[in-house]
Amino acid sequence: MTRHLPVILFLLPLGLAICLPLIGIRRREWCRPLAIGVLAAMVPVSFASLVGVLRNGTIHYDFGGWAAPVGIEWVADGLASVMTVALSLVGLVCITFLSSVLFPYLGSRIVPFYTLVLLLIASLTGMVFAGDLFNLFVFLEVSALCAYALVGLAGGKALVAGFRYLILGTFGASLYLLGVGYLYAETGTLNMADLAQRVPPLVGSKAIAVGVLFMFIGLGIKMALVPLHGWLPDAYTHAPDRVSPMLASLVTKVALYGWIRIMFWVLGAHAVVYRIPVLFLVGVLGALAALVGAFLALSQTEIKRMFAYGGLSHIGLILVGISLGNQTGFVGGVFYLLNDAVMQAGLFFWAGGIIHLYGVRTIEDLGRLQGGAGWMSVALVVIALSMIGIPPTGGFFGKWYIILGAVEAQNYLAIVAVLIATLLTLAYFAKLFERVFRERSAQQPAVIREIPLAVKISLGATSVAVIVLGLMSDHIVSFLLKNAVPPGL
Amino acid sequence: MFELIGGWLQRPNYIAFVLLFLWGIYIMVTRYNLVKKLIGMYLMQTSVIFFLVTTSAKRDATVPILLSTTEIIQPEVYANPLPHVLTLTAIVVGVATLGVSLALADAIYKKYGSLDEEEILKRME
Repeated sequence: MTRHLPVILFLLPLGLAICLPLIGIRRREWCRPLAIGVLAAMVPVSFASLVGVLRNGTIHYDFGGWAAPVGIEWVADGLASVMTVALSLVGLVCITFLSSVLFPYLGSRIVPFYTLVLLLIASLTGMVFAGDLFNLFVFLEVSALCAYALVGLAGGKALVAGFRYLILGTFGASLYLLGVGYLYAETGTLNMADLAQRVPPLVGSKAIAVGVLFMFIGLGIKMALVPLHGWLPDAYTHAPDRVSPMLASLVTKVALYGWIRIMFWVLGAHAVVYRIPVLFLVGVLGALAALVGAFLALSQTEIKRMFAYGGLSHIGLILVGISLGNQTGFVGGVFYLLNDAVMQAGLFFWAGGIIHLYGVRTIEDLGRLQGGAGWMSVALVVIALSMIGIPPTGGFFGKWYIILGAVEAQNYLAIVAVLIATLLTLAYFAKLFERVFRERSAQQPAVIREIPLAVKISLGATSVAVIVLGLMSDHIVSFLLKNAVPPGL
Repeated sequence: MFELIGGWLQRPNYIAFVLLFLWGIYIMVTRYNLVKKLIGMYLMQTSVIFFLVTTSAKRDATVPILLSTTEIIQPEVYANPLPHVLTLTAIVVGVATLGVSLALADAIYKKYGSLDEEEILKRME
């Protein structure tokens, strides 16, 4: 039974996504509870799968009974299981938030809306478990298609932002597919475990080098690595406020996870392509992204746009962590990835709540709150502390382990990059805090409304989660060190 | 130099792939009309599919179907079927992407009354 848990985890949202249009013909009001129910059911299944993996070792699931190099394989190892646990927990909180009564009623569009959300969750699960490169491509594209449609749902400017996201995302996916084609032409296999055997001796060949480069650029566009991030700020700013937490916390992170898989499990941790160590290249780009993203966030006037740029800088920090070439740094990066999924969700919950409760969209407007809205402010402070990296929160320990890894690798530039990014993060949150707590805008003050329960639950859950992640960081990190470290690192 | 070009000319299908790919990107980047951008995007996707197929092509190769169970398997007689399978999936993905993108372009046209990117940006203000 344990063997089938990863597939069950995938089939739960996929099955409902397929059934929902039929159910929705007669019972439109069932969509919401069913979707929340399925996401809630995913949580115990993902935990059971994690426990199963810990007890019996990595699960290799062969579809249709065809053995691995020929057939399609799913691999649930320690890292993948931890990722799916995070995915289902964050997904559950996000779907609670997006079903809140705060947002405008969708009418008949509620059925396709929940179908898209469930398909997104299912395809992200598939990406986490995918054991071959082409499967990864298919799930990448399914998740991206759902994301384009969800961004466009808001109408108006979101349509143009979604269109741009689609053009760039498809360009990235095509490059990724091209890279997969190069690797296949050179090695004759698509299975990651099989490739891990065949790629290292060929790593000097032009086809491998170009293929890996194409795959990196493709996934770089999908994870919004800084020079390739053009689509992200517009898409996340104009996306419907109810879906931007889910997009921000999950879609880019899972693309990043895909690259981690390829870099460590296919190329090998210390691959050197054309005298350039892959880890070094990724680390430099990550440091650049961390600085540029935080710097751009500082100059934004719209709340959601600022958080979107903040997310870019955190993608960079994660890449810095994993590229340090030692276990501490890798685990720090992965731990930061889990934290970032929670923090991004929390920030966009906050932004969505502020926009819909008080009609405040820009940082300037925050003065209209007149220091009211205590609940929202507390949640913002907790999540912001974690974004900046103040001790009891998870963000601090993520950065701490990344810096420890950098010390171990004697990579002092990485430390400087992380510290400067931290200072810049502090700066843009200080700008936000000043408006929330000190400014008394002369404009008409916002009417303080009762906060709907779903918003309270989701903001509370993320705020508690960043503190719990911080307090449990010791256990989580030693757990990751034991179970989720790639071979050869 | 001549050897290099001669080597290229022996693989015209790869040259065709590179031309199609770059042509697609060129259209995507330079055209302001959204539908033309989509045409470029589709051309680029198709060129990648063409690349996958062309890697499996062989002179005088046939379909990989065994006519009897006793036949001795000679891999060099058959075309590699796996890229074709990938191609099928990639075509489906491409069609789905095109569907979503046309729906978005249609919604943009209904909202802003134009498909020209500069015009839309002007009307968005």
